[in-house]
Amino acid sequence: MDNTRLKRNIRILNIVSMFALAIALFMIFFYAPVERTMGNVQRIFYFHVGSAWVGSLAFFVALIGGILFLRRPEKKWDTLALASVEIGLVFLSIAIVSGSVWGKPAWNTWWLWSPRLTLVTIMWLAYAAYFMLRGAVDDEERRGRFAAVYVIISFVTVILTFASIRILRDIHPVVFGGALESAQGAEQGLQEFSGVDSTKMVITLNVAVVAYTLIYTAWLANRIYLQRLMDQTQLLKTRLASYLQGES
Amino acid sequence: MNRGGAAETSPIFLPAVWAIVRKDLQIERHTRQTVSIMIMFSLVTVIMFNFALETNLGAVRDVATGLLWATILLAGTLGLNRSLAIERENETFDAILIAPVNRNAIYIGKVISVTIFSLLLEAVLVIMFIVFFNKPFWRPPVLFVLALGTFGYIAAGILVTSMTIRARSRDVLLPVLLLPLSLPLVLPASMAVAAFMFPIWPEWGEVQSAISLVLIYDLLMVAVGFLTYHYVVES
Repeated sequence: MDNTRLKRNIRILNIVSMFALAIALFMIFFYAPVERTMGNVQRIFYFHVGSAWVGSLAFFVALIGGILFLRRPEKKWDTLALASVEIGLVFLSIAIVSGSVWGKPAWNTWWLWSPRLTLVTIMWLAYAAYFMLRGAVDDEERRGRFAAVYVIISFVTVILTFASIRILRDIHPVVFGGALESAQGAEQGLQEFSGVDSTKMVITLNVAVVAYTLIYTAWLANRIYLQRLMDQTQLLKTRLASYLQGES
Repeated sequence: MNRGGAAETSPIFLPAVWAIVRKDLQIERHTRQTVSIMIMFSLVTVIMFNFALETNLGAVRDVATGLLWATILLAGTLGLNRSLAIERENETFDAILIAPVNRNAIYIGKVISVTIFSLLLEAVLVIMFIVFFNKPFWRPPVLFVLALGTFGYIAAGILVTSMTIRARSRDVLLPVLLLPLSLPLVLPASMAVAAFMFPIWPEWGEVQSAISLVLIYDLLMVAVGFLTYHYVVES
């Protein structure tokens, strides 16, 4: 795809995701009912789950990018993985911080060293180290190869984190595919989940997740476009340098 | 794509693994560098931790399992770095790569030899921990979980170290990359070990999930290693 067409598509994507976010925000604050035990604080839930979801999605996309790069070392797959890890890290940070803010009223503490919280934080560190690895390898082809292998290895931690969350006992409730646990949490009355059976909340959550996913897609497209411009600039610079050298 | 060249070299896969392991053990027998560095380092670490927790002996006993794993992880990075740095310094690794053997044989051979080094270290550490903390670290299930966890850690470690060894600032880079990756392994492993520290042995159901998580990590890491190792060592 040439740059002008890509730019037009990105602009459409930007506008669509902006509208989706506006709708999601409206629904979170005006459509979703006030939760029984937690009150308005529970509205963090929609941001928290939405960004956690996008975080995992982004790391999965990075994994795909890494695998494709190893199969065929083309620059675009490396860029896809890089962009996706970057954005995923931002959304994971949002999830951790919003979770911490919510933890204060829910558990009366900003932080707990429960397996789930610890593992997610370590996941953040594992993906942050991705940039250190990239920064430490000079050769461009090798950097892409190492980075691709590293996103594959680090995705093992994502799988294990998901598995541990479902297997090990934890104070944090399970949202995706964990109806039993959230039901237990609701029964005990200690979890913020007691109200999820309300359909309005489920609808709002789904809209928020879709909106976040759209923002992720738009951001990814923008980031890839930016990287492409950077690469082109680099190419032009090299060409200019060799041209000037030829002149003198 | 089959850059490992598995098809025509598979009959000598196991001999190749054995050759790598024997070579590393022989080097270690002559130089005695890797394991002794790991043991010295662990000793210092344990004493430092004791010093930090000295005021409360009960607290030290409670954190003994976590301390054991932390020591193994830190000493493990030394062993990994050392084992692969020797190959780089002597430029023997390029010679190994020239040999017409499957890359995965080299990978598994390296994993096995560094795991053996770590197990030797753990034998010393377990005795030390029994003496220092008066806890039943000698129980067979504990040793089993230790071995299982170490194997997974080294399987991930060889892969990561093979990359960091060829990067700038390699010695600092390894712990930053490897320690976060190892936590999903160490968390359930230390839970399982801690469960066996009580006078009454736990039911299988209590440790089953933790041990299966360790097993899953081992299998996944070895699988990833098999699939990606030749991309890492190729120059």
